[in-house]
Amino acid sequence: MGRFVARRLLQALPTVAGVVLVTFVLFNVVGGSPAALVLGQNAGARALEEFDAARGYDKPLFCGHWTKTRALEPVDFAAAAPGARAAWGAGASGPLRLEAGQELVLPFSFPLPENETWRLTVVGAGPGFPQRGKQFSTTWKKVFRGAEKPVFRAEGGPVDVRRVELEKATRHFFDSQLVDYVGRVLRLDFGTSTSLNQPVGSLLKAGIGPSLALTTPILVVELAVSLALALLCAYRRGSWLDRGLVAVCVALMSVNYLVWIVFGQYVLAYRLGWFPIWGFESWRNLLLPVLIGVVTGLGTNVRFYRTILLEEMHKDYVRTAFAKGLRTEQVLFKHVLKNALGPVIVNVALALPYLYTGSLLLESFFGIPGLGYLSLNAIHSSDVEVVRAIVLVGALLFTAANVLADVALAWVDPRVKLA
Amino acid sequence: MSAEADIREEGGVSFGREAWGRIWASRAARACLAVLAVFCLAALAGELANAWYAWKDVPAPWQAQNLAARHMPPCAAHWLGTDGLGRDVGLRLVQGARIAFQVGVVSSLIAIPLGVLLGCLGGYFGGKTDDFVIWLSTTFAAIPGLLFVLAIAMVVGKGLLGVFLAIGLTTWVGTCRLIRAETLRQKERGYVRAARALGFSHGRILFRHILPNVVHVALVSFTLRFPAAIGTEVFLSFLGIGAQGQPSWGTMIASARLRLWQGMWWELAAVTAAIFAVVLAFNLLGDALRDALDPRLRAAPD
Repeated sequence: MGRFVARRLLQALPTVAGVVLVTFVLFNVVGGSPAALVLGQNAGARALEEFDAARGYDKPLFCGHWTKTRALEPVDFAAAAPGARAAWGAGASGPLRLEAGQELVLPFSFPLPENETWRLTVVGAGPGFPQRGKQFSTTWKKVFRGAEKPVFRAEGGPVDVRRVELEKATRHFFDSQLVDYVGRVLRLDFGTSTSLNQPVGSLLKAGIGPSLALTTPILVVELAVSLALALLCAYRRGSWLDRGLVAVCVALMSVNYLVWIVFGQYVLAYRLGWFPIWGFESWRNLLLPVLIGVVTGLGTNVRFYRTILLEEMHKDYVRTAFAKGLRTEQVLFKHVLKNALGPVIVNVALALPYLYTGSLLLESFFGIPGLGYLSLNAIHSSDVEVVRAIVLVGALLFTAANVLADVALAWVDPRVKLA
Repeated sequence: MSAEADIREEGGVSFGREAWGRIWASRAARACLAVLAVFCLAALAGELANAWYAWKDVPAPWQAQNLAARHMPPCAAHWLGTDGLGRDVGLRLVQGARIAFQVGVVSSLIAIPLGVLLGCLGGYFGGKTDDFVIWLSTTFAAIPGLLFVLAIAMVVGKGLLGVFLAIGLTTWVGTCRLIRAETLRQKERGYVRAARALGFSHGRILFRHILPNVVHVALVSFTLRFPAAIGTEVFLSFLGIGAQGQPSWGTMIASARLRLWQGMWWELAAVTAAIFAVVLAFNLLGDALRDALDPRLRAAPD
């Protein structure tokens, strides 16, 4: 059994790596730096650069010796906007013309920090383009410390500058966002929330209690109620009760989740006054959200468990049990239920991670300060760090739950080979 | 083609026609088809009306505010009443149907080709290809669904594009698994061996012979994921990161929710009824399709 668990854990490793990779691609490669979103449109280049540096967004994505910087926006005069052209002192169109002896004026957004190494690249052509021993060179590169000022001068003739780019040196070749991210995941360091300015780890810790207080009762009550109803369906299979229950289940599945919440809060809490409307003070506050949570999941679960039970009802051992003259109740509760336990356990194990992610809408509607509430607020304020941490931890828990489900199945069902 | 014609002459009924006959025979399935026809027509009418007003460059009647006619309960002029800005709920409902239809179709156009292609390749070639497909689908399946959708929508930005991509990129996994399993089953069948013995290329066997035999799985998964896509769109639009500046069922619920506390029930009731009818029809039709298209289910009693 120990070997089985160990091997299942080992098999889960590629999935964990995949999850880390997918979140990286989503948030870093596609999403990019949230600096502009967080600091607003009026933030200066320096503030944006400092934000990026503090969170590692200034590094290259995968690897590299050089990385882009906001100190000097790269410019290509063939496609530059009029504003950028004016900043460089270029004419209305075409490359930037430097006369003999004229120096290229670099419009830095802010003075370069002195303790960094930079590389300036100028692409152009003309009789005055510095050749440095090479003939007909069109690219000029200069590596310098921030304190020095790089000088590009047209010597002995005019120069047409086509492209200028400034890059910052990284500490080493693998000083990248991906390596950073993997390292932080391994250390379980989730960074700092941009909207709340608190460590994400402590936000998660604060949110897990309220979330569990809401989702655990939902899971337990739902399991009990839906198993009971499914057994009732299986017991009275084909009767009006069975068909009616199945019809109700399909109908329940078709009512939108939002409508349940809006309706429940308005009618049951506000009009009838049976429950408190909002808040997280006593257990009474949880009654209505739990009720709504159970009702919304009931249709799917009853149908699922009913199918499992009915599949068992066609097995040979059931026929034998009936042939022995056992009563339906005995067959159902003693034989069928025990054999149907496997899929039930798997279903429950796979629902466990959702205990952690909480219920997004229930928590926001009823003011329960859990992880669902935290996630929705983070989405609204574009708080990438929080969303990423919750997605990542949720995925890791789901992978763990998968392993748990397999182990539980192997433990319950001796027919599952431990090979 | 000729082989098919021969079979018809002998009086056989094609698989698709037989399945269609089974569905048509059920009164409930016919009712579902009728509901979905109304839904499609409403979406089409909404699309045409939207295009017409955009072309004429005049504000559409479902956007025009009429503060004199605010909060009107259902009456002769406004069959489903008006909302808090005097806009006709019925017209907005039709526009919502248009958005829901778009989301269902476009997200399926992303998810189903992706799922079918990966599932076919994994199931047919096996080995390293299959390992990759399994790894990719396990990874995507491990990320909590709704959070993943929200994260993609957040990264892509507000608007319907984010909704399409979020739903499309998270729901291909189910289709992929079903198609892969079905491809594995078909691969061992005699017709595939015959095709291989005839020296057909892998591409021809996969796309001309196996694909037509597994495509019914994609059809069933389309009908079952459509209502889920509508639900997700309603959720995203409700949160304000879905449809922007256009009436969608989600934004209607968001505004109707506030009006409900002032006693104006008709907007919420209309949206609820619309979503209920469409989702129920899809769910029932999906079940009927699955029963009709899966021959293995026919033999089993109940």
